[in-house]
Amino acid sequence: MELGRLEYLQALVTEFQVTDSTGNKRRCSLALSLSNVSTHTRPFSLAEAKEQVLANLANFAYDPSNYEYLRQLQVLDLFLDMLTEDNETLVEFAMGGLCNLCLDKTNKEYILEAGGVEPIINCLSSSNEETVVSAVTTLMFLTTPRSRAQTTALPVVECMLRFSLSANTRLSNLASIFLQDYCSPPQVEEARNLSKHTAVGIPLPKD
Amino acid sequence: MAAGSSGGPGAPCRHHAQLGACESRAKYREGWRPRAVKVYTINLESRYLLIQGVPALGVMKELVEQFALYGAIEEYHALDEYPAEQFTEVYLIKFKKLQCARVAKKKMDERSFFGSLLHVCYAPEFETVQETREKLQDRRKYIAKATNQRDCFMLKKVEGPKKTASRNSEHDCPWSTLGSSVATNWDPFCFTSSSGVSHNTAYPSGNQNQSLLTSPYYDDNCAEISGYLGQNTSLTPSVHPEGHTPPASLMQQRMFPAYNGIDRFMPRTTHLQERKRKREESNKFSLIGTSEDNTEVVIGPQLPEIPKVDMDDESLNTSATLIRNKLKEVADSVSTSVEKPESSSAKPLVKQRRRI
Repeated sequence: MELGRLEYLQALVTEFQVTDSTGNKRRCSLALSLSNVSTHTRPFSLAEAKEQVLANLANFAYDPSNYEYLRQLQVLDLFLDMLTEDNETLVEFAMGGLCNLCLDKTNKEYILEAGGVEPIINCLSSSNEETVVSAVTTLMFLTTPRSRAQTTALPVVECMLRFSLSANTRLSNLASIFLQDYCSPPQVEEARNLSKHTAVGIPLPKD
Repeated sequence: MAAGSSGGPGAPCRHHAQLGACESRAKYREGWRPRAVKVYTINLESRYLLIQGVPALGVMKELVEQFALYGAIEEYHALDEYPAEQFTEVYLIKFKKLQCARVAKKKMDERSFFGSLLHVCYAPEFETVQETREKLQDRRKYIAKATNQRDCFMLKKVEGPKKTASRNSEHDCPWSTLGSSVATNWDPFCFTSSSGVSHNTAYPSGNQNQSLLTSPYYDDNCAEISGYLGQNTSLTPSVHPEGHTPPASLMQQRMFPAYNGIDRFMPRTTHLQERKRKREESNKFSLIGTSEDNTEVVIGPQLPEIPKVDMDDESLNTSATLIRNKLKEVADSVSTSVEKPESSSAKPLVKQRRRI
């Protein structure tokens, strides 16, 4: 089935929305209308379909020529919503999608207006490497004079300090760049002092 | 804390693993080749490529030659400590440019090489901090350029074809010269912008078009690094020699582009057609003989002005500018010596078409 790019993106979002709602039946009926049943050689789950669609959208978000359409189809909201999902893979893909498109000015403002910084900061504590790495980069890209207070808040800087010592080179590189280029020396110092105190442990009670 | 590989560069990472191809895709989403479900971000991509499955037949030279077809290679070596299947070797190849690495990966992954299937993946963990930093900066530049061009394109629709060649070749130079300089000459506007006041109109820059192209990037740039002295990682906006403020209306237009209903998505082929159409339009226009230059009396059809079209690529634009200038030179010298306008008509611009 040949589709123009807008139609394709639209179909993706529609499939995702339908998949999101309850009941396999609805999802199957859409799949039937959009594809030939015979192509499905093995049963696949709801979660898998969502993951595929989300990954596709996230990859589309890499190319600036798609940004207008993605905005119109409210894919930015979709990505932000997915950040709070239980499914780790969905979070990973959504975070990747945001990382890909957040450099564009309009997208950046949209994400900031929608209060996107907080769920992204929460992604820093994910156990998924890609999610964390995407979150670090997204925070860098989203840092503006207005948002700096949020994106370089003390807990974030502290987190980056820990990351910069990680054995994971990708993570430590990004964290180092964050600290060097997006945080002021006083900020880094403050975070360092904070972690020093907590590292010492619980002080003995005074007698 | 993120679960990452503890081995550092050279150890197998999760992102090196080849995921199984997805078999359950809906038909409308099925591509030409079977692909795994994976999201690529700028963090995953890298100039470093890891190549697994190279047959241990002493074919390093051939391998490198094969990859060199896609771009200049900076360094390469075998990774002896990386776990490899029996009778295969693992290599690391570092390209000079990320774009080349992307193409090479796309083409060479899953390609048969001396009877063995290669598995090519990015290896960002080999990057140094500075290389990662540059990678992110390049991504910024790319987005700024891509999204500005869209704005410029929209403005072009409103105001007619503008001179773009000079803009592009001029703006390329500042990038490279600024990139290497330390941020000692701070643009004072940086600080005013950080106070939250709209900082669009505050930038003096070159000609109008130049400001359109460069300001938004400067916006972001300045906004993010204001207040931190000694930062030399981002390009600093310096005051251009010409220095006249762009009209506010144009800046406004750039900041809030109007989306009338569904804007037409413009795939690449349409860009080429658009440029062709504009060329023809401007040719038509000039042949009619309407000239805004009041000093010259135009007799007969005007020579078609060589349209200055942006070709979306720095190197192509530079070449185009050189050719254009040369043609202009030739046209000028011919028109002064010969008095037959018909014979001295400019040759059609030799356009280098990109293969899509």
